[in-house]
Amino acid sequence: MMVKGSGKYLPVVPVLVAYGALLGYGLMVPGKWQLVSQLAFYCTLGQAFNLFMGMTGYVDFGYVAFMGVGTYGMAVSIYNLTDKGLGGWVIVIGFALAALFSVLLSLAVGAVALRLRGAYFAIATIGVNEGFRFLIEGARIWNGSEGMIFTRHMKQALGKPGAMAMGTFWADVMMFAVAILAAVLTLVYMRNKVGYALTALREDEDAAKVMGINVTKYKIIAFITSAALAGLLGATAWALKLQYVYPTDVFEIHYTVEAIIIVLLGGAGTLMGPIVGGLIYGIAKYFLAIVLPGFQLLIFAPIIIAIIVLFPEGTVGILKKKLTGTALQRYVI
Amino acid sequence: MLFEQLSGNLIQGLVLGMVYGMATMGLSLIFGVLQVVNVGHGAFIMVGAFTALTMFQAMGVPPVLAIPMAFIIGMSLGMLFYYGAVKPLVSPSGIGIRKLSARGKGVIAGSVVGVILLMWLTSGFFKVNIAIYLFLGIVFLYAIALYIYGGRRQDKAAELATLLVTFSVGVILEEVVKQLFTSEARGYNWDIGKIDLGITVLPYTKLLAAMGSLAIAVILYLWFNKTRAGMAMRSVVEDDVGARVCGVNVDWQYALSFSLGIGLTVTSGVLLTMFIPVGINPYMGGPYTLKAFVIAVLGGLASPYGAFFGGVVFGLLENGSYTLFANIPGLEPFAMTRFFSFVMLLVILLIRPTGLLKAK
Repeated sequence: MMVKGSGKYLPVVPVLVAYGALLGYGLMVPGKWQLVSQLAFYCTLGQAFNLFMGMTGYVDFGYVAFMGVGTYGMAVSIYNLTDKGLGGWVIVIGFALAALFSVLLSLAVGAVALRLRGAYFAIATIGVNEGFRFLIEGARIWNGSEGMIFTRHMKQALGKPGAMAMGTFWADVMMFAVAILAAVLTLVYMRNKVGYALTALREDEDAAKVMGINVTKYKIIAFITSAALAGLLGATAWALKLQYVYPTDVFEIHYTVEAIIIVLLGGAGTLMGPIVGGLIYGIAKYFLAIVLPGFQLLIFAPIIIAIIVLFPEGTVGILKKKLTGTALQRYVI
Repeated sequence: MLFEQLSGNLIQGLVLGMVYGMATMGLSLIFGVLQVVNVGHGAFIMVGAFTALTMFQAMGVPPVLAIPMAFIIGMSLGMLFYYGAVKPLVSPSGIGIRKLSARGKGVIAGSVVGVILLMWLTSGFFKVNIAIYLFLGIVFLYAIALYIYGGRRQDKAAELATLLVTFSVGVILEEVVKQLFTSEARGYNWDIGKIDLGITVLPYTKLLAAMGSLAIAVILYLWFNKTRAGMAMRSVVEDDVGARVCGVNVDWQYALSFSLGIGLTVTSGVLLTMFIPVGINPYMGGPYTLKAFVIAVLGGLASPYGAFFGGVVFGLLENGSYTLFANIPGLEPFAMTRFFSFVMLLVILLIRPTGLLKAK
């Protein structure tokens, strides 16, 4: 659907309102920051993942690897550069390294995996995630399976209260920034040539090729953007927040699955979908963990099957259908 | 010294490789017929392992005799999950349970009765919790919704949907088994002697597991090539529209091959515990899923015998590379072996996605 003129970027309004409300809730209501931070993590994860999966229809099962190398980018910067007297700049360099690492990995992965389709793509990407983790452990890169603990370095760089505040508050705020960046990028892509090309590709890749669309180029653009966002998310949500990194934690395939679930719950390929999906998933998980500890997965798994079989369009997909032809149509995509 | 070590490990790798191959045949069969990648593959292997463990510990049945039982459990689970979760997504006629034939309804009823019987038999392990009732309630409501609503075929997202559904099925199995048996690692000890080859020692259980795997592969090969039922299933692999035109009931072939694939996978769980009888826990399946992907790709993904040979190749490469990595200082051989297997996966996908062993 071609949208022109001033209304082109209107759908960013509900996104900003949603994230603003979430941030406001966390700041106003005492004792809820932990929940808000978890919800923001899921929304960001979904948003970044949706940029590639939702728009192209390719499922990257190794997505968490990009978050993993992003975490390592930040960790490497703080771990090695703190003694150099750079102060708070290590964080900035860390973000740059996180983006760089994830972009490099995505280029390497894309060169192999983006030639493949469907099930072969999914299997290849699983292989990339596991392979990278075992390379780090096996060749003892970045301390191997012992991981990196850099709490001390953080304290040195930011001072003790600064490091505390970074872990408990500022890392989460930066996560919101990554989320909004991801949403804005998604919208810009959707409203420009990239998005139209990817929609054509998602519907019928061969037909798109025949029409003269350079599908490989647009696939790679979306793949790298999505990977870089994942790297930034890893750098905030894991490196800055937890201040340690272990290969088994950051290459855990369950995060990829959570990303897929969030995107599907909300509606793949929609702008608001990951936010709605992230909120539903995060809140449900949070309360199930309180009410029925240890049983979350047992309850979640059949619900996921039910959603996939019975409501494949996701929440926002259904909403979009309902709102077609009304005044709100322009805001929900 | 290195040579002796290497040849000893390669013999172990050959024996283990046959079991690996058998453990991947189900995955390849399901992909070949339904074009579905069973991401929950490892969970079914885990079910087989627990079948062997329970029958050995509770009833004293040697694991070899647990094979038929595991196969029956696997077939019923396969039917249950096919009709409950996979069929609405992949069936060519795109219908739900509502429009099932009488035979399909009978199979569902049979599977439900079978699973209830199984639960009743193992009821001594039950720790009843409100969450279990909640789980059963959701499943029940889902079943009713599916019955009324029917589901529909989703051409666009079918692939993604099947990946997620099979993954969720795996999670359900893991969590149910965790409720029944807790998540602690178990093992059993079935000692029937061993054979000393000079360079390595092979317990008879390992040999038996390899022979059993080979026998099952041969039976499957004969069944596919010499019987009408097997040929009908192969015709669906070749061309499902053509098969339908020739009067093959494609819907039923889908159901049959899914449950046969699951049956083989659960059976392979028994054989794997004969090879490695320790570390049996609800989450043991994960590494096997990943290995099975590599093996299946080695064998061409859609061919069960290709998978068997892929398993043998994988077993040899795994043990061979382990020996070599162990002799290079500064490396962790276990992790490097796993890394090597994924590099292999990517290389094969890149240069020869039809598998190493297929001529065409």
